[in-house]
Amino acid sequence: MLFRVDVAAAEPLADQIAAQVRGGILRGELTPGDRLPAARELADVLDVNLHTVLRAYAKVRDEDLIELRRGRGAVVRGDADAARLRLVELARQFVGEARRQGLGDAEMLAIVREARP
Amino acid sequence: MNRPRTLAAIVLIWLPVVITAVTWSDRLPDRMATHWSGSGPADGFSSSRGFWLAMLIVGVVAGLAGIAAALRAGGASGLRYLLGTAGALAGSFAGLWVSTATATLDNPADPRLGWRLLYFVAGLAWGAVVALAAGPSPVAAQPPAEAVTPLDLGPTERAAWSTTLRAPLLLAVLGASAVLVAVVAYLGRAPIWPVLAVPLVAGLVLGRIRVTADRRGLRLIAGLVRIPLKTIPLTEIAGLEIARIEPLEWGGWGYRVTPGRSALVLRRGPGLVVHQTNGRRFAITLDDPRTPAALLTALQARAQG
Repeated sequence: MLFRVDVAAAEPLADQIAAQVRGGILRGELTPGDRLPAARELADVLDVNLHTVLRAYAKVRDEDLIELRRGRGAVVRGDADAARLRLVELARQFVGEARRQGLGDAEMLAIVREARP
Repeated sequence: MNRPRTLAAIVLIWLPVVITAVTWSDRLPDRMATHWSGSGPADGFSSSRGFWLAMLIVGVVAGLAGIAAALRAGGASGLRYLLGTAGALAGSFAGLWVSTATATLDNPADPRLGWRLLYFVAGLAWGAVVALAAGPSPVAAQPPAEAVTPLDLGPTERAAWSTTLRAPLLLAVLGASAVLVAVVAYLGRAPIWPVLAVPLVAGLVLGRIRVTADRRGLRLIAGLVRIPLKTIPLTEIAGLEIARIEPLEWGGWGYRVTPGRSALVLRRGPGLVVHQTNGRRFAITLDDPRTPAALLTALQARAQG
């Protein structure tokens, strides 16, 4: 899969890399059991700090998408669910847009409830 | 494909197999000499029937491989080479059988191999006869190469691509050949145990391969043993081509090196062909050759600009 980051973008580099991993799983380019590039190697070729990549991987691990093990590296989890991930991505966008419009949690939940048919 | 000549080649491949099959003799003792060191007396014995069967099985496998190659290869340029190899294999094992069997029949008390080793050499040379019969392969018409569109990489963007190739079918074939070698070595008491290393090492190297495309260029790493197999730096890439890889045009399956070209072929289908600045070409089968081609082209343009 393709990793691409923009050093001039406002979004932190670790978030960009985490988003690439999520996108890879979402699009089916990364499937359960697939190994991500070693953090040191990815940091080297993208010319970013090793800790940036490690922070990105830790983030995706906390979302239960990958496993990090000593010696084995980062592996996409067997239960990484592309369909659920798609929903999470939509929710992220929804929450982001709602925040920009100055909405609070209660209002957001109300909108979700209203959206139910 | 030149049908009559290919057919003739296949008949010639099967000829030594038939010879092995019909030269079973009831006059052979239960156990026969099957191993000699130099020109002295025999120093290894096996069951006659088992040794004969082992030699026959290898011949049949070679014969079937020849048919499979002819059916799958179509007009590919590697067919002659494959048929010749199958012929050499079938011929040499028939030669092994004939030389050991006649040695035992001539003098059951003290069989000597001596000049009969020539049967084996003649069997090997049979491969050349088969290749001659198969005739030169036609030059396959190449479909026009697809143009590579560089990735729209901004000046502040950095990108890297990687993928892992797996070859379950190739692993299965390598496993089967390891079993075949083991069976022949055991039944025939043939000293071919070292040959086992070939499928085992190939399995370790080809079982899983990581391919990366980034500012270092195109790299291949054997995944199970983490050994770099190949690196083509950006500066040594003269051109990239998205192509359909026909295994037989690149010398077969696996990691192949032929004059002026090398290739990692795990299946037939889409792949990437790298034209190197030293005039050599390297091909690799990839599900999505467009992304690494686009990335490498963009990175190269950036490095030059």
